[in-house]
Amino acid sequence: MKINDLSLYSKFAFRDLIRSYSKILSIIITLLISLFILSAILTIEDSLENELNENSKVLLGGDLEIDYNNREGDSNLIKQIENISTVSQVVEFSTMISTIEKKPNKTSFTRIKAIDQNYPLYGDVIFEPVGSLKKLNEIDNTILVNENIFKNLNLKINDIVKVQNKKFKVIGVVKVLPDIGGAFVFGDFALTGKKTLDKLELNTLGSFLNYEYKIKFDDYKNKDKKINEIKKIFKNNDKVKIQYPENSAGGIKRIIDNFSQFLSLVSISAMLIAGIGIANTLLSFINQKNSSIAVQKAIGINSGNIKTIYYLQLLFSLIFISLVAYGLSFFLVPVVDKYISDGLGLNIEASFSLTNLFIVFVVGLLVIIIFSIPTVNSIDQIKASSLFRNVFQSLQFKYSKLSISLSLLLLTILVSLFASRSSIPTYSLIYFASFFICLAVFFYVSRFIILLLRKNLLNLGISSKIAIKNITQSKSITPITVMSLGLGMTLLLTLAFVGSNFKREIAKSIPEIAPDYFFLGIQNNQKNLFKKIIIDSDKEAVMEIVPMVSAGLVKINGIDPNTYISDSNDSYWVIMNDRRVSWVNTIPKDNPILEGSWWDTSKPNKLQISLDSKVAKDFGVNIGDKFTLRIYGREIEGEVVNFRLVNYQDLSINFAMLLNPQFAENIPHEYLSTIKFKNIKSFNEVNFLDKFPSVSIIKISDYLSKVTDVLNKVFIAVSILSAVTVIIGLVVISSAIIVQGKIKIFQNLVFKILGFSKKEIIMSSIIEFIISFLSIIFFSTIFAVLASKFIIENIFQLKWLFEINIFFYVTIGVGVVTLALIIITNFRYLSPKVYPLVRNE
Amino acid sequence: MNYTIDNNSINILKNISFEVDYKETISIVGESGSGKTSLIMLIGGLEKISAGNIFFKDSEISNMTEDEISEIRRKNIGIVFQSFYLIPNYTALENVSLSLEINKLDNATQKAKEILDRFGLSNRFNNLPSQLSGGEQQRVAIARSVVMKPELILADEPTGNLDSENTENISNLLFNYIKDENASLIMVTHDNNLANLTKRKITIKDGVISENQ
Ligand SMILES: Nc1ncnc2c1ncn2[C@@H]1O[C@H](COP(=O)(O)OP(=O)(O)O)[C@@H](O)[C@H]1O
Ligand SMILES: [Mg+2]
Repeated sequence: MKINDLSLYSKFAFRDLIRSYSKILSIIITLLISLFILSAILTIEDSLENELNENSKVLLGGDLEIDYNNREGDSNLIKQIENISTVSQVVEFSTMISTIEKKPNKTSFTRIKAIDQNYPLYGDVIFEPVGSLKKLNEIDNTILVNENIFKNLNLKINDIVKVQNKKFKVIGVVKVLPDIGGAFVFGDFALTGKKTLDKLELNTLGSFLNYEYKIKFDDYKNKDKKINEIKKIFKNNDKVKIQYPENSAGGIKRIIDNFSQFLSLVSISAMLIAGIGIANTLLSFINQKNSSIAVQKAIGINSGNIKTIYYLQLLFSLIFISLVAYGLSFFLVPVVDKYISDGLGLNIEASFSLTNLFIVFVVGLLVIIIFSIPTVNSIDQIKASSLFRNVFQSLQFKYSKLSISLSLLLLTILVSLFASRSSIPTYSLIYFASFFICLAVFFYVSRFIILLLRKNLLNLGISSKIAIKNITQSKSITPITVMSLGLGMTLLLTLAFVGSNFKREIAKSIPEIAPDYFFLGIQNNQKNLFKKIIIDSDKEAVMEIVPMVSAGLVKINGIDPNTYISDSNDSYWVIMNDRRVSWVNTIPKDNPILEGSWWDTSKPNKLQISLDSKVAKDFGVNIGDKFTLRIYGREIEGEVVNFRLVNYQDLSINFAMLLNPQFAENIPHEYLSTIKFKNIKSFNEVNFLDKFPSVSIIKISDYLSKVTDVLNKVFIAVSILSAVTVIIGLVVISSAIIVQGKIKIFQNLVFKILGFSKKEIIMSSIIEFIISFLSIIFFSTIFAVLASKFIIENIFQLKWLFEINIFFYVTIGVGVVTLALIIITNFRYLSPKVYPLVRNE
Repeated sequence: MNYTIDNNSINILKNISFEVDYKETISIVGESGSGKTSLIMLIGGLEKISAGNIFFKDSEISNMTEDEISEIRRKNIGIVFQSFYLIPNYTALENVSLSLEINKLDNATQKAKEILDRFGLSNRFNNLPSQLSGGEQQRVAIARSVVMKPELILADEPTGNLDSENTENISNLLFNYIKDENASLIMVTHDNNLANLTKRKITIKDGVISENQ
């Protein structure tokens, strides 16, 4: 087609669209909703990633970070760096803060940062009152606590709190820290000065200490040269890890990535359901235009050009819809910003991205083309000669080999587009495969219902007969209802089942298996006293106490794993920094061995390692591989002898690596303990801390409530999004009913003439709905059960149960809404006027 | 030429053969069901014949593709239907200028206005078909079919849906136009008065030509 032809047909298309967009309103609405969701996901993901990237130095706290782990940095080397850059030393440690002059006194588990005058190198600390940050390094034993501690411990400025054995004065409140790239996401935190730290006797803190040296180049132009110099300085020092800004927020990025991956799959589902409606609405639209198209043919416009006009109308609508959907997504960013900034301290801003707009447009285009090919092709069936006979056949979808292969090709492109953007393409592909299987099943279910009912097996009342007639007629909306609602329902039920199972398992672990407290940092010589104190406060307390030492996994079979395992690996945390390891004589009862054998006691002088089976799989480790662990700066080589199934969710003591006790007992170590009290009130945290100032207490319920809070937010967001698929399904159904309206009017008129009451006609609508809906429930429940069971048991490794309440909430909820919608949409066809029909209008 | 449907099981037109001269006007008459409409459709290239040939000037339309026939129809053949068939959401003016626009002629609107003016519809340019009377609709439809100045006009009972006053009106308009613009006309009609206005009259009976004078 020539360019000036195209501009001519564009003009026609534009004119037609302006005049008849109301007839394709349901297409516009469903596309708008689903493209809006996609836009929102892309925009929010982008804004978050921009924030993380732009602030990567802020998140890291410098141009570079030298991580010395739990040893103080070598002052010689640090001096050398100071010659070429500004250095800020940050020491982090976890400990308890407790009040001493309140009634009652309270305690809180806190991560404290001890900072020097140079902190922060990048970004800002937000705190109150003015000047208090500076005072930390001027006045000893001063502390800034975060808002949460301030509130929970009922503090006032200048109150005295106790950290370890020392008294500290609270001189202010810190609200936001810039360098949250690490572990500060959910926990409580506080700031103190470097000199104060030197006065604390931290040697007992062992594994909880972390020394970091943040570096800022004064002259950023020579950055690469200086990075190389620094690398050279630490070349022979493998105890040190150099961190770069690019990796500063790896963990958060991964969460965002996975989450947005999942949401974009939901949005594409919504779009595919919308596609069913697009095909149907478009067919009725073209049917209404039947005579106009015939006239166009009679005037001498060929079929291909007429089709072009219709494709152009869709294209113009899509351009408009994409722009609006993308534009609207910007309004969602402030909402999300509010939602996440509390937790993460990030502030996101929407930024325009041509790529994202393009993706939104292309996805919309693919969906439209896929679903409009058989419809627009039906234009070929229209004959100009009908104009002589005044009869217009109603059009059917027209499938040809070419159009089917084109649709399949485009569908493949669409699927690959989503799969390629995903970090785990297999998951996306499995998702798409299940989606299309469901679609096919629901299609055949609708066919089957029709076939079965045609057999007229039952002898029913008149309303039922009408209903059956409606379901089985050739223009029946049953297939559309069953497919669109079935898919939406399946998705909603699956997510509801996953969410409820997940929440139940987490909730269940609090009172039952989960202990009340974790105790960290019990010294070797305190172990017996610790036991006694616990037993004294509650004789029936259940205590688990295990030795523990901090170890870094520095080599696997002689090679530094950091060189070949990327931070996108699920088990990256095992090599990210030092892990706590333990040892036991017998196999832990909830950690069954999957491969290999338990300790070989004939080799007491050899280090043997038992590894989490998931880590082994993620790292590609085999039984017999050699691990080099660095413990207290000394490298020890050991052999992996077995893989254990570890379930971290159960909140008892779990370790990725266990060592053989015969070997490990000689390593200086401390103890970790979990306690489940019979009567939790009998334990007094404050008294306990008087006796064990260096021991840290984590109250599980506090920790869990934070986790559940986050989970709840996620669950709500996911439910809202998946409900959208049902909403789109409903729009599709109601538009199908409207499309069917003419037939309905005629039918209801005939009923009226035959003397049926409105009640009987409504009853028949309800029966029609119930027959379709029951089969939808039946099949979507089967799919949802299979899918959610797979996700809960295999991905989360939790126990799955059929949540009957959730089942009823979702099915009854959706059922009531759908039925209401069907009755409302049908209502206007209930009182047909006899007159226009008699006149054959 | 022959026309059969349903795989030759129904013979609608048999051994039909006639020529139309340049500027000639022909009426086709016959009983209902005799095959008049079928004949018009075949001449306009809207259906395919089953045997024989149809020529338009020197080109054989009976073996052209749909698109090629479209091209010929677009420039050279105007069709008028009994039931008018205007595009419902286009105004009178737009219905007429559509033909000009697809042929990419300049001043399409101007030319369409002129022809509507000539047919006495100058105050109806911006009305939709639903806002026009039957006679007005048919005048717009004729304006649409002649606006390209086609060499051949086909009409199937153009006055069949109109009262006698409008019939007269329309027939005057059509025959005046044909005289002024030198077009050929093939018109199916029941109306003897109308048929008498044409130079030649072909009568069809049961799918064959029974009279040709
Ligand atoms: N699509 C068709 N299927 C079956 N019969 C047809 C079809 N089209 C036309 N006919 C038959 O062909 C004959 C001629 O029809 P038509 O050309 O419309 O006659 P006329 O216009 O003279 O009334 C009629 O008997 C009619 O029933
Ligand atoms: Mg006829």
